[in-house]
Amino acid sequence: MTALAERPYGGSRGGPQGGSQGGSQGGRRSRGALALMLPALVPVLVFSVGPLLYGILLAFTDARSGRNTETSFVGLENFAELLSDGDFWESFRIGLVWGLSVTVLQFLASLGLALLLNQDLRLRGVARVLAVVPWAMPPVVIGLMWRLVYHPDAGLLNGLFGTRVDWLHDFSLALPAVIVVGVWTGMPQTTVVLLAGLQNVPKELYEAVSVDGAGAWRRFWNVTLPQLRPVIVAITSLDFVWNINQFSLVYVLTQGGPGGRTRLPMLFAYEEAFRYGFFGYAATLGVAITIVVLAVLGLYLWRQAREAD
Amino acid sequence: MRRLGAALAVAAVALAAGCGSGGDGGDAASGGNGQPVRLRFLSLAWQKESIEANKQIVAEWNTANPKIQVEYVQGSWDNVNDQLVTSFEAGDPPDVIHDDSPALSSFASRGFLLDLTGKVPAGLKNDIPQAAWDTVTFSDGKSGQGVYGVPFLQESQVLIANKKLLDGAGVRLPTPDAPWTWDEFADVAKKLTKKGAYGVAWPMKSPVNKVLNLALNFGGTFFDTQNGKTTVKAGAQEREVLQRIHDQLYTDKSADPSALGMGTADPLPGFFAGKYAILPAGVYLRQQVAEQAPSGFEWVTLPPLKGVTSQQGAVSQTLSVAADSEHSDEALKFIAYFLNGPNQAKLAKGDWLLPTSTTAAKDPALTTEENGWDVATASAKDLVVAPFLKVNGYDEWKSKVATPAMQEYFADKISLDELATRLVEEGNKVLERYSR
Repeated sequence: MTALAERPYGGSRGGPQGGSQGGSQGGRRSRGALALMLPALVPVLVFSVGPLLYGILLAFTDARSGRNTETSFVGLENFAELLSDGDFWESFRIGLVWGLSVTVLQFLASLGLALLLNQDLRLRGVARVLAVVPWAMPPVVIGLMWRLVYHPDAGLLNGLFGTRVDWLHDFSLALPAVIVVGVWTGMPQTTVVLLAGLQNVPKELYEAVSVDGAGAWRRFWNVTLPQLRPVIVAITSLDFVWNINQFSLVYVLTQGGPGGRTRLPMLFAYEEAFRYGFFGYAATLGVAITIVVLAVLGLYLWRQAREAD
Repeated sequence: MRRLGAALAVAAVALAAGCGSGGDGGDAASGGNGQPVRLRFLSLAWQKESIEANKQIVAEWNTANPKIQVEYVQGSWDNVNDQLVTSFEAGDPPDVIHDDSPALSSFASRGFLLDLTGKVPAGLKNDIPQAAWDTVTFSDGKSGQGVYGVPFLQESQVLIANKKLLDGAGVRLPTPDAPWTWDEFADVAKKLTKKGAYGVAWPMKSPVNKVLNLALNFGGTFFDTQNGKTTVKAGAQEREVLQRIHDQLYTDKSADPSALGMGTADPLPGFFAGKYAILPAGVYLRQQVAEQAPSGFEWVTLPPLKGVTSQQGAVSQTLSVAADSEHSDEALKFIAYFLNGPNQAKLAKGDWLLPTSTTAAKDPALTTEENGWDVATASAKDLVVAPFLKVNGYDEWKSKVATPAMQEYFADKISLDELATRLVEEGNKVLERYSR
């Protein structure tokens, strides 16, 4: 940054003052740089950093919905309440089950699809486009579509199997049913990234192991996977963050029901804020989930980095 | 970025709350300078006939009152709570709000709704019985009480039955003066249960309001308020209806367990096919029965069951005025017109519900034998205020504690004692948050 900022000044300045008052020039220089950066910074500050700080601040208050409410600072009370809140832990557990299973299944299915699409098949272009289609659909539309698939009377699934199961309202089936939709929704981006990774694997490596007499499985295990490793780490960690914070898809499918069996952490926070009106507590939830996600992610990336060394 | 989503959303709304009171009413010009006053009316009508009736009354008003123009805004029961919370917090709510009495309590205590005490025109006030006004009288969140809506449509739980099956079993047909008791109902249901057919289907996808309203048959109130502190109770009176429904499912085997996951209208195909003889349902379900029944299918509406009494908890649909509305007087004038006797009769017919207006209840169309209107309208006399209406935090108790617990009880996964413990212990924890 300093190198970039120096150039215009260096050009225009020159003359007798040059280099004589280094300290004050440095100050002016950075002030000038700040002025130039301001137009870019303002939107970031106003629309991103501001609300974020406000949200974090809110987590330490007892803010509630209402015209006649008074908000006061309560310190860590919300966090203490959160730790002893059985519903939160249940929702957190569901969030982890959902986040992990969707991420893992998504990865396995996408890897298979990516390997397939990397082969020299006929109509490969069409197949690749088709694989990306779910990406083009907004989550709400996906939710509505799958609600029709799962519909107990008119649904595709019951029609196919001749069953009469109410997939999204059954206590034990709702979460698996929602996870399937989650996997389906997230497959395109994972597939595309893995496919790009596959195409970057040098052909020579395959030729070399083929010369050594390795079969398809050994080629995959000893060449493809190690080569893909950085891509896999990146996409699975991103997927995990996206998935555990999923909201719209599940909101449309089940609204967290039946009996809270699909109430992901973000749905829980939403209910606290907009249904029951506890804004402060909901903000606490948001902060807590952020901390947890960062911790899980940090641990995962740290382990991956250590193993790679 | 999405991990920040919730925090951002909450922050955004709270920000809006902070500066909300200043920034409303841009387009609502006052009536003084010759421009008409504009009101927004959020309606939740969803049945076709009902939407037509609503729009027709609004159109008539607009023609008759060029100075006060009402804009019909279509809402939906599915998301009205979220819509109202956000618009209230943003300081830009609709002027006239259609909702139901359970929802009003929390909005009233948060100061979002206008207290209508002393503001409702005498004609409308006297046309609606005090029992109905009680369903919209709530604490104002400080120390006082207020009236936060005008109740206009009420629902009672009746039985809809397959006439041929009843006649075939030779059971006594109940009348509003001599209704079935719960014991008699259990006997009848057993008699009607044959191979492949059940006496009754209890659709219990949303069991809580249904159970709580019926529990009053045996004096079960589920809530106890002392010195301003409300606690949950689940004693013998509260357990009676729960136990009886459970018995029908698992002891008498006269109720179909596979109907438990259904919404109120879902058992209708089975009902038409003779698989279920009796459906306990709100009076409004008659509309779907009348419309969808195959030709030649004979059905009757039977009066509400009797326990110790026939009393049921009443929930009303309501019209309220937003506290932030700039034209509350005009809004009240519109409500007074919208809910006068003839209009309430139209709305009641459109929604197949019971009007609160005593004039409307005398409308011949609402007392005819056709489609069970006489039985339905007669059931209004036993409606009393549902105790849960006054409970702050009821919504959270219902969705977090009572709904899953009751669903598990009816699915025979937990015992009645466990259910009672959960309702009370977890419930009191929830209610405590609201009494702080």
